[in-house]
Amino acid sequence: MKKEELLTTASLALLELEEGEVERLGEEVARMLDYFEMMTKLDVDGLEPTTHAFQKTNRLRADVLNNNNNNNNTNNSFNRPLIMENGNDVEDDFFVIPNVL
Amino acid sequence: MGDVLVNDKYETFVGLEIHIHLLTESKMFCGCKANYGDEPNTNVCPVCLGYPGVLPTVNERAMEMGYVVARALNCRLSRKTYFERKNYFYPDMPKNYQISQFQEPVGVEGYMDFEFGDEIKRIRIHDVHLEEDAGKMIHAGDMSLQDFNRAGYPLLEIVTEPDLKSGEETEAFLRAFRRTVRYLGVCDGNMDEGSMKCDANISINLPGAGLGTKVELKNMNSPRFVRRGLQYEAQRQASVLDEGGKLIQETRLWNENRDITESMRTKEMANDYRYFPEPDMPPFCPDDAFMAAVEEAQVELPLTRKHKLMRKYSLSSEQAEFIHDEKGNADYFERVLALGAEAQSVYTWLSSDVQKELNLLNMTLTRSPLSAERFAELLRLMEEGQISGKIAKQVLIDVFEENEDPSRIVEKKGLSQISDPAAIARIIDKVLGENEQVVQAVREGEQKQKGFLVGQIMKETGGRAAPALVQKILSEKLS
Repeated sequence: MKKEELLTTASLALLELEEGEVERLGEEVARMLDYFEMMTKLDVDGLEPTTHAFQKTNRLRADVLNNNNNNNNTNNSFNRPLIMENGNDVEDDFFVIPNVL
Repeated sequence: MGDVLVNDKYETFVGLEIHIHLLTESKMFCGCKANYGDEPNTNVCPVCLGYPGVLPTVNERAMEMGYVVARALNCRLSRKTYFERKNYFYPDMPKNYQISQFQEPVGVEGYMDFEFGDEIKRIRIHDVHLEEDAGKMIHAGDMSLQDFNRAGYPLLEIVTEPDLKSGEETEAFLRAFRRTVRYLGVCDGNMDEGSMKCDANISINLPGAGLGTKVELKNMNSPRFVRRGLQYEAQRQASVLDEGGKLIQETRLWNENRDITESMRTKEMANDYRYFPEPDMPPFCPDDAFMAAVEEAQVELPLTRKHKLMRKYSLSSEQAEFIHDEKGNADYFERVLALGAEAQSVYTWLSSDVQKELNLLNMTLTRSPLSAERFAELLRLMEEGQISGKIAKQVLIDVFEENEDPSRIVEKKGLSQISDPAAIARIIDKVLGENEQVVQAVREGEQKQKGFLVGQIMKETGGRAAPALVQKILSEKLS
């Protein structure tokens, strides 16, 4: 595997790699890729790709509002205080994160 | 209209990516309310907040709307459609992927016809696919505030081929497209509220040389801004090429305050979304009943409707343009005609007095007190000579204000026309008696003064005297 490819993959996954790790992971990832390489040897001409492991299709839901835990009657979602408790930083009913602009 | 060459030299290619918010009750993959303008983070749940371990499930209505639009845009409809994960990191989408469609969207290879000047243009549709919207962020100082009400909102993206040739043409297409989705009842098309958005790809090149270097243009919040953004951008690209420069593939934002496009920071890397099939949701294979419902939901599309209005009721292109703009208005128009009214008179009233009232009261025709039945009745009262045109205008205002039938108003207020010649003659005698000098002047040839007498007679009857009778009897008496 080219070092460039590894770094691209890492940056897509938002991983910062140190020089030593690049070396080591390069070999390990290359071994994984070799393993998958076996599959490319199979003859799959004329086969439809298996996009999903299960054969089930058409699992839809009706377009109706769910009736979750709702104590302010303004909506049918989870109540806001409960949801907001999970935020690290919360202000005026918004989740707050460092400015990303 | 021929194709416009920028600087008389370059051909322009514009392709659009249009996103529309589907008018469903609930979100795309969960039962939270899909609504614009609620308090922040009220319509949220673990699914649309992207918690681990949740199971998104496709909204049946959104799926149907997707197929309805794809069908109306003449697409090849997928017999097996599925969702994929589009992977990217951005805090408006906490699960780090957007559920979208890629390999098997609901529809591909369609087209839409629209009118541009006197020409019918055909724009090819690359694909129509379903996806979810992201959350909204407000950037303030050193922080960004997140509201996930919009996260998971059902979106339909329509991607056109680069077949549009100018900003003007693109604006016309967009207006026609907006009308189409409103006719289908799948989206309200409000670009200023964000329920319809449009990004454009634009490139220019020497004629015959094919597509040029593509620039993606964003942040245009109305069809007019789309036109102006594209016009500016085509000129800018032409200037770069004229000066021997090279265009770079980039994303630019339309700045509506400065009337220019500005380069966004260019990413070091091209986007790599690593799509793969969404394992949590099985494919959807529409059955016959589903396809029948999609057919059932098709309506006469705006362009066909317009041409029908012109052909069937002898409306001019401008008149039909006005009537067909909203499906509800076109339906209304035809209902009034079915009740016996005459097309030109209905058009005239709708485009002037009725429109004036609607603007004044900030109402839409179909939700106003003026039902098609009441409107037809009003025109009939006038047609039959029971009320004059002038009185009819007053009755129209009363219908809006009092929400009653025109015949009731005429009866209640005693507005019916005086058409008894003897009664009119008596009133005329009275007026002539009170204005002997004017009568003298008219008899001596000052015909202009006759108008004054007519005015006095109408005033005396509260405008109710039948105008033709007044003219006739007055002339007899003055001769």
